[in-house]
Amino acid sequence: MSVSRRSFFSGLSASLGGMVGAAEAATPELRAPAGGPRWGMVVDTARCIGCQACTVSCIMENAVPEDSFRTIVSTYEVREGDRAAMVMLPRLCNHCEEPPCIPVCPVGATYQRADGIVVVNADACVGCAYCVQACPYDARFINHETQKADKCTFCAHRVDAGLLPGCVESCVGGARIFGDLNDPGSTVSRLLAQNESKVLKPEMETGPRVFYLGLDDAFLGKVEAEPTLWHPSHGQEAQS
Amino acid sequence: MNPVVEVLNVTREAAWLPWAVQYFFLIGLSVGCFLLTLPGFALGRPAWLRLARLALIGALVCGFAAPVALLADLHQPGRFWRFYAHPNLHSWMAWGAFFIPGYVGGLCLYAWAALRPGLAAAPARVSLLGRAWRLAALPWLPRMPRLLPLAAAWTTGFAALVLLYTGMEVMVVRARPLWNTPFLPVQFAVTALAGAIGLVLVLDRLLPPRDRGMEVALNRLLALSLAATLAVGGAWLATGLLGLDAAHAAALASVAGSPEWRFAALWAGLAAAVPAALALWRPAGTGWLSGLIALHAAWMFRWTVFIGGQTVPKSGAGFYAYHLPLGHDGLLGILGTGGLCLFLLIALTALLPWEAAGPARAAAPAAAPVAPAAPGRA
Ligand code: SF4
Ligand code: SF4
Repeated sequence: MSVSRRSFFSGLSASLGGMVGAAEAATPELRAPAGGPRWGMVVDTARCIGCQACTVSCIMENAVPEDSFRTIVSTYEVREGDRAAMVMLPRLCNHCEEPPCIPVCPVGATYQRADGIVVVNADACVGCAYCVQACPYDARFINHETQKADKCTFCAHRVDAGLLPGCVESCVGGARIFGDLNDPGSTVSRLLAQNESKVLKPEMETGPRVFYLGLDDAFLGKVEAEPTLWHPSHGQEAQS
Repeated sequence: MNPVVEVLNVTREAAWLPWAVQYFFLIGLSVGCFLLTLPGFALGRPAWLRLARLALIGALVCGFAAPVALLADLHQPGRFWRFYAHPNLHSWMAWGAFFIPGYVGGLCLYAWAALRPGLAAAPARVSLLGRAWRLAALPWLPRMPRLLPLAAAWTTGFAALVLLYTGMEVMVVRARPLWNTPFLPVQFAVTALAGAIGLVLVLDRLLPPRDRGMEVALNRLLALSLAATLAVGGAWLATGLLGLDAAHAAALASVAGSPEWRFAALWAGLAAAVPAALALWRPAGTGWLSGLIALHAAWMFRWTVFIGGQTVPKSGAGFYAYHLPLGHDGLLGILGTGGLCLFLLIALTALLPWEAAGPARAAAPAAAPVAPAAPGRA
């Protein structure tokens, strides 16, 4: 993606102000307080239209192999009487404050950066998949091409370059808002201060740093629902 | 009809493959077999000698094959050295990387100490193998009568650590309520023991002369261990059913509605109850059958825990489908480990004077008739 287009979107989103709040990461080091940033995301579920643009842009940005996903928008149909509505739940790594995926890693390949982003050192990972088991959110998987643990990195390479994560930049409805939780003036901080937010599986005490606005409690944990007939999954095309 | 329909979601595949099942099965069997050798070898009970010799073979076969399966389960097996170069000691798996060589190394030393009198007694002129045996006895070293009990103590310690870490490694995974229960390490241990007894019963059939007295005693022990298995399983079920603990209730609820899981539970119950009943009803002559079913029960418990456990989504509705691949990550891997065990069994029984194994006093009389015959067999 060209710099000019990026700048255009940054400028555009900045001009939209609190609507999207996407500008924080454009110049993170300038906005961060002395303690350094703590990146986080607020997902405003009312704004998500389930278009999966984030899912696709993540795949393109991070070369996620076929049938694997670092993020996806879980989509549910909810019926109440004779009315039906859709619930969109964008899922990704929560970059937890107490990430259970880190202590289990036998070789210390999974770690948390000072800015809170949880990453895998691919040079060190032995592919034991212990972290995959330990993550309560099914946010990790073994990459079939690299044979190592894979997950959302908040697009750390982009954030380090002053850009937004790919999913945030491509979000059509402005549902994904990324920014510095340490900065009280950031849009994420303001949204969290002004709205009631929820995190997934709070009982796991992982301290997720992806917060949801407008999400019903029924969707916080393992969702009790009629299961999907078809799941995208590697090597299981036959089921479709 | 459920008011919520999951329209679109992602499937996560089982990340611990059937190799993991094979590893946990084999290392459990090895530890169980090793423990069965102790009365005959370390405590010097003559009545337990044949049992100890068969169990030693079982411990070695499974102890050598298990780490192969474990390495295969790593998606980057060539990097296993990182376990030693960069261990993260907060992880049970990292500790396991040290316990396994501690255990297998100790087992080798223990086996050598038990086999040494038999190796040394081989008539050197009979064959090349006889000469190799004498050499393998390291005749230039002193007798070291305390080596066997010392190696037994070392290996017992590491065997306990292996049982501890294999249980804890899985138990600490809070993300999977089915695994996150203190009953799990206990169940791994008792099913490992039941499987090991089963393996010795099968070996007794495969490696004559059969010992009726031992078979009866082992069958009784098998029934006891299977009763313990059923009791631990029942306690887990009761804790969930009666709602004594929220996590257990959640774990049970996550699978209770599934016909496949109910079938698996029934099967597991029968796989423990049937051999126990058989072992009590006909303790003589049926050892190979009760033994095989007990082996199956130990394997199936691990299959259900690992592969079944990973089909329970952490967030999604329903279950993830698991289809056993035919290649090395599936059926071929399972058959391959079986083949490796068979090869090791043939190689070890053909190349080692296992029938003469034991503490120096016990081994001496047995070594004379056995030693010349074994090289000829090889
Ligand atoms: S969501 Fe999962 S992978 Fe991400 S930090 Fe938390 S535990 Fe780790
Ligand atoms: S798969 Fe890689 S990152 Fe995950 S626990 Fe194993 S070594 Fe660590």
